[in-house]
Amino acid sequence: MLLNFNSLGSWKWALVAITTLTSAFLLLPIVFIAALSFGSSQWLIFPPPSWTLKWYGALFSDPRWLESAWTSLRIALMVTVLSVVIGLFAAFGLVRGRFVGRDGLRALFMTPMILPVVVLAVALYAFFLQIGLAGTTLGFVIAHLVVALPFSILALTGALEGFDKSIEDAAILCGASPLRAKITVTLPCIGHGLFSAAIFSFLTSWDEVVLAIFMSSPTLQTLPVKIWATLRQDLTPVIAAASTMLILVTILLMLLAAAVKKGLKA
Amino acid sequence: MVASVETEMPALAPPKRRFVPTGFKPTLPALILVLVFFVLPVAILLTRSVTEPVLGLQNYATLLGSATYLKIFVNTFTVSALVTLFSVMIGFPVAWALAIMPRPSANIVFAIVLLSMWTNLLARTYAWMVLLQRTGVVNKTLMGLGLIDQPLMLVNNLVGVTIGMVYIMLPFTIIPLYGAIRRIDPMILQAAALCGANRRQAFTGVLLPLAMPGIASGALMVFVMSLGYFVTPALLGGTANMMLAELIAQFVQSLVNWGMGGAAALVLLVVTLSLYALQLRLFGTAGERS
Repeated sequence: MLLNFNSLGSWKWALVAITTLTSAFLLLPIVFIAALSFGSSQWLIFPPPSWTLKWYGALFSDPRWLESAWTSLRIALMVTVLSVVIGLFAAFGLVRGRFVGRDGLRALFMTPMILPVVVLAVALYAFFLQIGLAGTTLGFVIAHLVVALPFSILALTGALEGFDKSIEDAAILCGASPLRAKITVTLPCIGHGLFSAAIFSFLTSWDEVVLAIFMSSPTLQTLPVKIWATLRQDLTPVIAAASTMLILVTILLMLLAAAVKKGLKA
Repeated sequence: MVASVETEMPALAPPKRRFVPTGFKPTLPALILVLVFFVLPVAILLTRSVTEPVLGLQNYATLLGSATYLKIFVNTFTVSALVTLFSVMIGFPVAWALAIMPRPSANIVFAIVLLSMWTNLLARTYAWMVLLQRTGVVNKTLMGLGLIDQPLMLVNNLVGVTIGMVYIMLPFTIIPLYGAIRRIDPMILQAAALCGANRRQAFTGVLLPLAMPGIASGALMVFVMSLGYFVTPALLGGTANMMLAELIAQFVQSLVNWGMGGAAALVLLVVTLSLYALQLRLFGTAGERS
């Protein structure tokens, strides 16, 4: 009765109304930002008096915004590669290994995900000040790697647990070396896991704000840090343009992920 | 044969000793990373809370004994509790509708939930800063409708923080609640109807109790996540309405007081980890974070 949409009676319309309103609430800020980024009003008047591309012009002609976008991309790509490789090795150990404390180790690997990120940010900042990594690209990559790795390990252990190991053993019986069997048989079979590990790692680093604020220096800023610093001064529509670009990247990656998932199922 | 498959690089592996377990080595890079750049720095920070400026518990005495810091703790817990309450009250009917709606419309709602969740946190917070400001769309709409005469103060206070945080936490509530409701067998509700229960009775007597573990687990997760949130409170709350995560950042960034920063971090850590332990004990899962 209550779990059948058509026999809900008047309750059905209440649920539909709440869901519609909530969807509007969730969509509102995103649509609003995109609209403002094309609006001509410096003071973010809505609806905008007229439409313009000048904020995008300002965004793309300012070397500091471009520099920070390039920094974001560079760091996110390094994090992605390291996170997938280290995560892959860890997943092999966690799924195939037989050793005492394996479940404890798995839990340890997941802790950076539940710890408040501000605690990690402050702790790493102090540590990097002492060992000379504060404000460096390497420090940035390490900090993002610590929070991206759990997602990567989660995706890859899941994929590896779903993979029938006897296929790999068969390849070895047919004469392939264990390493060759892994590369040519196992890796292609867990491709979807590798792919989601990569997307999650990339987005974790690309969108991360809190660690980035502590890892940045005046000469090393990712896009979120640049937005954060600008936001503390004023609400200029250039931020709306930058945010719209970030949202666009997210949508493209989500569509890509959905397409790959669909392709794998077909 | 099989044993050699289980080690990563059999050619380089030393001959096995009796007590060396198999397959441990591939986890070493991740383990070293986590130990050196996670466990060690956090341990050092927490240690500094009892060693700086002098050995002792004076940082904790200051932190837990002053009215200023007490207000920050009260802010943090009040906002987190309100955010949890609103997220669950809005999220539950949406999750319920999603679980039983016709497929095409459910997919659209799902896409909106995911899009909102994956949109950059700063972009979403910026949107709310603009929407909620004195001359913003929300105030203008309410005044246009004649509901208010004066613009409401919606930013630089805890109202703004609560609205912004509910927005951010809603997807984290809807997704696990959806899972919880999908796991309920519709036949049980059918049975309740056959036994003569009306809708209200079936809701309070059957659906709600069956969904309660999922609701409690989701609520606890949202509460814990809210306690440690930094960006949204900092931007929507202003400096006069600080929350715990901002306090930690402020001790370190502006005051360069590592002792107090470490102490505040430990308080947040202890509360967070004990609530997660409670979650594990009650529901056997640490929640679905993403």
